Amino acid sequence: MSVVTAGGTRVPPATPFLVRLKRRLVVLWPFTPITLVLTLLFMIPLGIMVVYSFWTTRNLNVVSDWTLSNYIRFFTNETYLRTFGKTVLMAALVTVAALLLAVPFAYFLVRYVSARWQRTVLLAVIVPFWTSYLLRVYAWQAILGEKGALNQFLLATGLIDAPSRLFVYNNIAVFIVLVYMYFPFAALAVYSSLEKFDFNLFRAAQDLGARQDQAFRHILLPAIRPGLITACIFVFVPVLGEYLAPTLVGGTEGVLISNLIINFFRGVQYPAGAAIAILIAAFVIVLLVIFRRYLQIEDVVARG
Amino acid sequence: MDLLETMPVSKRAKQTRWAFRAFGCAVMGFLYIPIFFLVLFSFEDSKTVGFPIPGFSLRWYQAVLDNQALQDAVRNSLLVAALVAILATIIGTMAAFPLVRGNLRFPSVIRIFVTLPIMLPGILLGVALVTFLAGQLHVRLSLLTVIAGHLVFTTPYVVLIVASRLQGFPRALEWAAADLGASPARTLRHIILPLIAPAIMAGALISVTISLDEFIVTFFTIGSQLTLPIYIYTQIKFGVTPEVNAVATLLLVATLGLLAAGGLLGAVRSARAAGRPKEES
Repeated sequence: MSVVTAGGTRVPPATPFLVRLKRRLVVLWPFTPITLVLTLLFMIPLGIMVVYSFWTTRNLNVVSDWTLSNYIRFFTNETYLRTFGKTVLMAALVTVAALLLAVPFAYFLVRYVSARWQRTVLLAVIVPFWTSYLLRVYAWQAILGEKGALNQFLLATGLIDAPSRLFVYNNIAVFIVLVYMYFPFAALAVYSSLEKFDFNLFRAAQDLGARQDQAFRHILLPAIRPGLITACIFVFVPVLGEYLAPTLVGGTEGVLISNLIINFFRGVQYPAGAAIAILIAAFVIVLLVIFRRYLQIEDVVARG
Repeated sequence: MDLLETMPVSKRAKQTRWAFRAFGCAVMGFLYIPIFFLVLFSFEDSKTVGFPIPGFSLRWYQAVLDNQALQDAVRNSLLVAALVAILATIIGTMAAFPLVRGNLRFPSVIRIFVTLPIMLPGILLGVALVTFLAGQLHVRLSLLTVIAGHLVFTTPYVVLIVASRLQGFPRALEWAAADLGASPARTLRHIILPLIAPAIMAGALISVTISLDEFIVTFFTIGSQLTLPIYIYTQIKFGVTPEVNAVATLLLVATLGLLAAGGLLGAVRSARAAGRPKEES
């Protein structure tokens, strides 16, 4: 079906530059507000922070003496380095634990729960995650604390004679709470990719003589790899910047790198704090760039 | 009846099924036990949170009702969340169109630009904002700076949600409208917006929830007026009473109510759209 004008077919003249530009602008102008917001309130602040990380503080005033001392101080101070290493280790352990829970849980949902109930169970996983983040961390004090449920349970069963303070204000408490907080992200990401997997492929592989572990490694794993990587990123990255959990249940033993950053900013030592923040930002951005092909952000945030 | 249940299965498969069910229940328990105790302690007739529970009362709910500072914090939070949601929804929805349809030159760069604010840990945005606003520009921190901060990481959510809806949008409908003489503005108003409305609503709802709950960015950008999470944080840090648990319980009920209302609304709408009375879902 074609429309022929009275004068026959005409070869259109090359579109002049200004007309093309105008067309582009008509399409692109709605992008202006977000560009303004993200540039003014995100890119420029990050840029300023990079600049500050090379400046110094004198008498509680930031002065523009260019120096590397903030970074040198970080890399030569054993406490800072240890806290940083510990934060990365904590993030890695929490990621592994969340996946160890999320993979069998997602498998359970996809294979053993009827499609009708899957949505309900999934909703039940997300609901706690819609309630206050702060209050969910606080809720663990009611479990692990000296007057908490765990102590009460152990007292009632006679395993201990007096309430113990050992369950809270340490690294293990921080670990448990973080696994609790980030499990829903991991479950959602793994579920999203497992749900799309056709389990007939798995059976076909076994029919063709693959052992169960071979079928798992060569058929299932490659198919759900994007989901697993998304889950890892969505747990690992936020844990690197975790402040509330270490502050509320970590005590002095459980401090993470965010506590250091906040202490510097509280003491108006912006350059020193900025240097650590920049190091973490760089670390995260490198991770995101490496894994960007697998990252399915929409699966976690846009499920509505 | 579940298909899996009607199939003849071996004993081992049955055991595996029970193992997975038990595991699933354990995980759900792990998710809900802390919330159970959080609620339980709110009814406790004692000045400290936890066991032993001397008795039950509603006195901490009364305390919430009498607490002026708390109510101010709630009002501030609602104000911030409402403004953030309106701005983020408008800005985000606008941005979604060129993102999906604009044939952008560097799609991956733009994607990183839009998603980085939600992928970076919040503390980094917080310290960057305080460095820029307070350190460099000497802006006085207030609820306005809080709103500015929240805007940065709520807008990307709206963009992602609306864009994913636009991706599957049937362009033929727009062309039909244009063929029938509708102006682009009219097509937008009568064809496109009604069809992507659920995504816009979802984006607005997510913005409200995230803004209401946000702690770390608010912590850096806030002035003398407190939002609810900051108020609760100071309560937890300095002398906690079951009043915090009462606030938590009320918030939980409010969130569940909102979710149920939203779900009900969605169910009614989709049933109506399908042209049949609402079924049990």
